[in-house]
Amino acid sequence: MQKEMIVASSLCVRFAKQTVLDEVNFKVGQGEVFALLGGNGAGKSTTLKTFLGTIAPQSGTATVMGMSVTKDIDSIRQKVAYLPESVMLYGHLTGVENIKYFLSLADIEKSAPDIEQALMRVALQKSAWHRPMSNYSKGMRQKTAIALALLREAPVLFLDEPTSGLDPNAIDEFNRLIKTLAADGATVFMVTHDVYGACQVAHRIGLLDNGKIVGMFERKDQAHIDTEEVHAAFSARSQQ
Amino acid sequence: MSAFSNISREARFLVKQRYFLALLSIVLLLSVFSVWSGISETKTQLSTIERLQEKDDVDRANVLAKQSDYGSAAYYTFHLTHSAPSAMAFAAMGQRDIYPWKHRIRMLALEGQIYETDSDNPELSFLGRFDFAFLISVLLPLFVILLLHDLRSAEREAGRYDLLIATASKQQRLWLSRASVLCTALAIALLLPFVIGALIMQAPLVSTLQVIAVVLGHILFWMLLTLWFTSSKVTVKQSSAQIASVLLAVWLGVTVLVPVASDIAIDEMVQSPNGGEIVLTQREAVNDAWDLPFAETWEPFIATHPQWKNYTEMNSQFEWKWYYAFQQVGDQKAAAISTAYREATFEKNTLAGRFAFLSPPMLAQKLLSSIAETDTLAAMKYEQEVRDYHQALRQFYYPLLFGNANRTETQSNQTINNKTTGNKAAFDPKALSKLPKFTTFKNTIDSSKENI
Repeated sequence: MQKEMIVASSLCVRFAKQTVLDEVNFKVGQGEVFALLGGNGAGKSTTLKTFLGTIAPQSGTATVMGMSVTKDIDSIRQKVAYLPESVMLYGHLTGVENIKYFLSLADIEKSAPDIEQALMRVALQKSAWHRPMSNYSKGMRQKTAIALALLREAPVLFLDEPTSGLDPNAIDEFNRLIKTLAADGATVFMVTHDVYGACQVAHRIGLLDNGKIVGMFERKDQAHIDTEEVHAAFSARSQQ
Repeated sequence: MSAFSNISREARFLVKQRYFLALLSIVLLLSVFSVWSGISETKTQLSTIERLQEKDDVDRANVLAKQSDYGSAAYYTFHLTHSAPSAMAFAAMGQRDIYPWKHRIRMLALEGQIYETDSDNPELSFLGRFDFAFLISVLLPLFVILLLHDLRSAEREAGRYDLLIATASKQQRLWLSRASVLCTALAIALLLPFVIGALIMQAPLVSTLQVIAVVLGHILFWMLLTLWFTSSKVTVKQSSAQIASVLLAVWLGVTVLVPVASDIAIDEMVQSPNGGEIVLTQREAVNDAWDLPFAETWEPFIATHPQWKNYTEMNSQFEWKWYYAFQQVGDQKAAAISTAYREATFEKNTLAGRFAFLSPPMLAQKLLSSIAETDTLAAMKYEQEVRDYHQALRQFYYPLLFGNANRTETQSNQTINNKTTGNKAAFDPKALSKLPKFTTFKNTIDSSKENI
């Protein structure tokens, strides 16, 4: 296996008396796209937020590039880019201003041509670049956030329901982009309940149910993971 | 990235937010209004003193011109005493709204003249005048709460929080930079009109810097309190409105409840007579004296003024020296209660200073009043000046009234002879030209204190 970039080992998270993650284990290698699939309340977002350091695990370990989320979260945040499900940037700033602001937060300086190139890469129409983001559609906001993630050149990407609310063309563009990034060596961890999308883009899929990994699917010789197989397992869990 | 870069980034970010600029504009307007209102009140008080001073001189000259004896001259003339506002008073009117800062006194018993306008309402005085001190002590915490209460929660509610902290290289630096920019802008909006006001009033540099330090200290306290609370785990699932409610409750507690509770506690701890009791005691003593044998007046008077014991013979049923002696005795009878009142006022002020450490707004107001010389101690200092001046009037008139015009009380003390009778001095209007004036008297006292 390639270099281990993201590792969950016996990860447990509890809110009050409720166990949200129960002995979760997985490893994601460099250049791999890993999708964590599950229904509502399965624990997908909790897993992601644990790696972002906004939720502390009660036991077990979560590491990114060998750094513990409980000890080295500031160092981890310099290495990861995060794409939330619903991208809400600052409405009073333009798309370009938002990108500059967030890059500055990450202590990253990029030239105007670099920013324009990233915006073209995510296919955000040029006329929108200098308009306040309050006028952006959800898809346009999503593209801006992806451009931001690209500009950060982070070796690890955490994506929360990345294609939620995007039109089919935008989803295809997004999937192509993710594959390209992975091919260039980026590690992608995404949580989703979109079985089809996950199968299209992921190298491996972990099926999460009631805080436990109940299935693991991977691309073998095919171009993508078998949707039918994953769908069947997902439906079976949903019916339980 | 340097701290300056962070501050600069947040400044550029916040300056584009309209609500922030609108709030700062309101703060600036309030500060301008408070400073203008303070300067206006200070100038009004100064011009009132100046106007009264002129009229007082003219009035006294007119009255004295009509008199034919020293007793009438002492009785019919009024003397203006006043406490002029300091150059910094525009920032904090303080106790000048409660304690009188001007009197027109006569040679009569003093206690009633000092306390007849006595009033006491610390709750109203605290939430009273809209001056710079009120803006800083009462409203400043609200501005800080308004600006910082939703520092994190607004980002959570807008769905940006996770993205922000996952992007920021140092999370704490982000919130601290943003809070610093907000509070720095607030400080500028509050202090700019004040500094201009201080220049207009030619306030001393040290006092100006002290006021600035109090303002910055008060901002810092509320900034740290709000940052601490909004970063605590309890607020993670609270809405901005809930966080604001808790912080407003804290503000209400330390701004209103603690001062009012402190006032009640201080009143319980320190028993004090009121001004009315002093006035009543003194006036009853004076009124009763008319019906008492002369000896009842002379005995207590001579006990404190032995130099006049050989000048007490009465040649008629009314003599001015007797009249002023029982005025003096009226003051002597009220002296104990008056001293108790002043000691209680001083003790209350000391305790209020200690209780102020439970209430930063109260502490800020006390500090500002102290810097502006408008606090209780300044009022007590003026009251003492009035007493000293009144004493000087008595020292001036007694030799004239007791027929020993060429002697001071001290000289009379030293050369007291065995004369059993004394006649009043022959009236010489020129002798009244040496009548002490409050302003001259006060300047003499002040300069002698400076020399010491």
